[in-house]
Amino acid sequence: MISGYPNSEEDLEELYDVARPLLPEQVLGIIDQLLCHETLFTSVYVEALLMPTPRNIQQADFIRHMPDGSSHDPMLTILRAYCLGMLKACGYVNDRIRSEHFYEEEDFVTNTYSRNLLAAIPTDDIRETLLEAQNLVSSLREKLGDEMTTALDHRLKLRYAFLAATECLQHIREPELARKPWEEAIALLPGIKVSHELGKAVDEAFSAKLQRNLASTMPPRPIVQIGFADAFGHLSRLFKDGSELIGVLDFTDSQCLLAKKPQPLVYVRTLLQTFLFNEMEFLGTMSIRQIMDDDFSIVAMPANPRLDRVNDEIEVVQDPRFVMSQQMELFRQRAAQPFLDVLRTFCQNRCRVRRTLCHIIRDWENLQVDAEEIDQIIQVRTKERPMVQESPVDGSPIESYSLPLSSWTYLYKLRMMEWIVQLGFELEVYQPDEFAGMYWYLNYLAKWRLQHMERIQTFIRHRVEEARRSSQAPEPVVIRQLERSESFVRLSMLDAIVTWELSDALSCLYTVLARLDLVKAPPRPYSDNELRYELRMRPFAPIGLPALPTFEMFTAGTEQPEVSTPEILQYAEKALAGAKRGYERFVSRNFTAQDAFSVGSHDRWVTSMKNGLKSCIATGIAISAVQKALERSLKTGELKIKAEVPTPDKCYHDWWVVPRIIPIQ
Amino acid sequence: MDITKNDDLPGKLRYVQYEHALEAEYLPAIRTLIAKDLSEPYSIYVYRYFLCQWAHLCFMALNPADSSLIGVIICKLEVHASHSNPTRRGYIAMLAVASSFRGHGIATALVKKALDAMTKRNADEIVLETEETNIPAMRLYERLGFIRSKKLHRYYLNGNSAYRLVLPLKVIDLDADSSSFDGQMA
Repeated sequence: MISGYPNSEEDLEELYDVARPLLPEQVLGIIDQLLCHETLFTSVYVEALLMPTPRNIQQADFIRHMPDGSSHDPMLTILRAYCLGMLKACGYVNDRIRSEHFYEEEDFVTNTYSRNLLAAIPTDDIRETLLEAQNLVSSLREKLGDEMTTALDHRLKLRYAFLAATECLQHIREPELARKPWEEAIALLPGIKVSHELGKAVDEAFSAKLQRNLASTMPPRPIVQIGFADAFGHLSRLFKDGSELIGVLDFTDSQCLLAKKPQPLVYVRTLLQTFLFNEMEFLGTMSIRQIMDDDFSIVAMPANPRLDRVNDEIEVVQDPRFVMSQQMELFRQRAAQPFLDVLRTFCQNRCRVRRTLCHIIRDWENLQVDAEEIDQIIQVRTKERPMVQESPVDGSPIESYSLPLSSWTYLYKLRMMEWIVQLGFELEVYQPDEFAGMYWYLNYLAKWRLQHMERIQTFIRHRVEEARRSSQAPEPVVIRQLERSESFVRLSMLDAIVTWELSDALSCLYTVLARLDLVKAPPRPYSDNELRYELRMRPFAPIGLPALPTFEMFTAGTEQPEVSTPEILQYAEKALAGAKRGYERFVSRNFTAQDAFSVGSHDRWVTSMKNGLKSCIATGIAISAVQKALERSLKTGELKIKAEVPTPDKCYHDWWVVPRIIPIQ
Repeated sequence: MDITKNDDLPGKLRYVQYEHALEAEYLPAIRTLIAKDLSEPYSIYVYRYFLCQWAHLCFMALNPADSSLIGVIICKLEVHASHSNPTRRGYIAMLAVASSFRGHGIATALVKKALDAMTKRNADEIVLETEETNIPAMRLYERLGFIRSKKLHRYYLNGNSAYRLVLPLKVIDLDADSSSFDGQMA
C-alpha cells in the first residue's frame, strides 16, 4: 500500500468547482487563508492556475476554456490577479533561496512537486494583471462598499509591492530604490490587519488531498495552517527585516555584521547572503580582498606595511615587500573560505549556526597553523624586531613578536568557541544541572580571549607609540586605522571581561544551588559524568589551544570542593560587580555605533547590552536571596527557598540564564 | 521502575519481545498506537524495515487481561559508518504508550528493556530525536542519562524542531578519527 494514494473513489471527495461565483467577502476570506497556509498546493485555486503549467498569461486562469463571449465573474478576476502576484513572488523567493546556502526541509520546503511557479510568464504581464484588478476593484466601489473596496485594493497593492521587493537585488547600488517596495508594503499592513474581519473563510477551497494528484509516491504532508495573527506577524516581520536588510548596503566594516534576534525568515537571510556574496563581490562594490584586509587592519594589523598595496608592484624577489605581498596573498587564499563561512553561517538558522560553528572551528584550528607559519616567514624576511618585556615572574627580559595573522585567526577561533557555548544556552541544549559546568567553561574561554586581547593591545599600543615618535606626522589614514583598532581592542576586551565575570558569577551560583539541592541532577542510572563530559565537549576536543580541560579539572572547577558555600557566594558577588561595571560602561558611556562596531544594527546592540546589565542585576538579586536564606537557615535549620530556572525566552538575555529564587512557606 | 505497584494497572503487565511470528497479531495494533502519538506519517515499509531486522530490539507491553497492546518501543543497532572509526550506534525509532495507561512508568520500563538489550549487544552510544514540545519524553530520557547534543530546526513535517538526545555508553576515541563527531555534536 502506498499511503499517499487515494484508497477509494469516495476518498477523493466531491470536486470543487473553481468557476463557481464568489462573494466579495469570500474572495477576501480566501486571500487571507492563503496567507495562513504554509504551502501552496492545498488550495484548489492555486492548483487550477498551475496545472497544467500555463505558458502565457492568458492560460494562467482558473478556467482555461471560457465559452465564447462570456467573461469572468469580477470577483474571480480579482482573486486570480492576487494569486498570480502571489505565485510569481513565491517563484522568485524559491529561486533566491535555492541559489544560496540553506537547508532543505529545516529552513524551507518548496513543496512545489517539481512544478514551476509561472516561470514562463513575464513579470510585466502579472504586474499589468494586478493593476487591471485594482482598477476593477475601484470601479466596483459602489457595489462593494468603501471598506471592502479598500480591503481588496490593499491586498492587491501588497502583492504588487512584494513583487517589486523580490526584484530589489537589481538596485544593489541604490539602497533607496531597493528599500522603497519594502516600505510601501509596510505602509499597507495596518489596512490589511483591520479589514481581515470582513472576510469569510471558504474552507472547502483547501484540502490536503490535492497533494495526492501531484505525487502518489509520498504521504501527503499535513496542512500546516497558522492563525491570521501569526501569519500577519510573519508578514510584518518579513517586510520590516527586508527593509532593514537594505541597511547592510550602507556597510562600514565587517565587524558590524551582527547576528539578529529573533532571526529573520529564511528569505531575508538568503537575500542577505546574496547581497554579501553575489558574484564574489561584497555588497556589490567591494572585493573579498578589500573586506579581508579591512578586517585584518581592524583586529590586529592597523596601518601595517603588510597590507600596503604597493607591495604588489615589487618584482625583486629579495625585497621584503615582495615576500609580504606573496605571503599575504597566500594567507588570504587560505583564510577566505573560513572567513566567509563565518559570515555566511550567521545567515543560517540558529540551530545550524551552532552546528556549523562546531565544524568550522576545526578549519580555523588548521588555519592558525598556516597563519603561524606565514607570520614567521614574514617576521624573518622583514627582520621584525621583537618587543622586549619584563617577565612577570623574575623580571628577566622576554622577547615577543607580533604574529598578527595568527593573532587574528586565534581571536576568531576563540569567539566561535564562546558562541558555541552561548548558543547551547540559547537553544536549550544544556540542562539546568549542566549550567554550573558550562558557565565555568565559558569563563575559561573568555579568560583566554582576554589574555589574547591583552597581547594584541600591547602590539597595537606599540604601533601607536611608533607613529607618535616618528619624525614625520602620520598620514590621516594611518591615524584613522590606529584609532579604529584601539576602539576595537577596547570593545573586545570589555566584552571578554563581562563574559568572563558574569559566567563566573553564574557558574558559582549554580554550583551553590546544586549543593543546596535546589537544582537537581536527574538520577541517570545509565550514564556517568565522565562519559557525558566527553560527549558534551566533543566539538572542542580537536582544538589544541585553548586545550580542553581534563574531566578532573572541569569537575574541580565546577564543584569547588575545597571552598565553603558562603565563600563561593562572596566570590560570585565580586565577579558580578566586575561584570556590572563592564555593562554599565557599555550602556552609560554612550558608546557610539562606531565604537561598538554595530553600524546598521546599533539599536540591537544597545538593547543587548542593556539586557546584559539587567541579567547582572537579576543575578545579584538571586545571590543575595540565597545568602539571606542561608543565614536564616543557621537559626531555623530550614532554607525555605526554591530555585526556578527559566527558559531563555523568559530571560533578559538568551545567553544568561539567571535562576529565580523564590521563598516557600 | 516499579510498574506493578499502581492499582490502576490491570495486574502485572507482560513485557514481550517482538518476533516475526507476532506480526499478524500485533503489527496493526503497533501501527495504530504509534500513528496516534507521533506526528510523522510512517508507511508500512518503515515498520517492516525495523521489525524485520531488529525484532530483538522491539518490546511490547501487553495487558495481562486480554493480551492487548498497551505500549511498544522500536529500535535498531547498526555500525554508524559515516566515519573511519565506526561506532555501534543504537537508535530508538519509536516509542508509544496508550494514553489511558500513561503515568505508570510503562514507557520508562520499555526504554530500559531496549537500553539493556542494546548494551548487551555492545552499543557505543544510543541516540534518538524527540519533538521539542514533547517535554515528558525528554524528561524520561534525561532521567535515564541522555543529554541533548543538538537542536534540529524544523525537523518534523509539522514544523516543530527536535532535539537529538544521546546516551554515551563508551569513550569514543577521537584520536583515531578526527571527524567522528560529524553526526554527533554538530
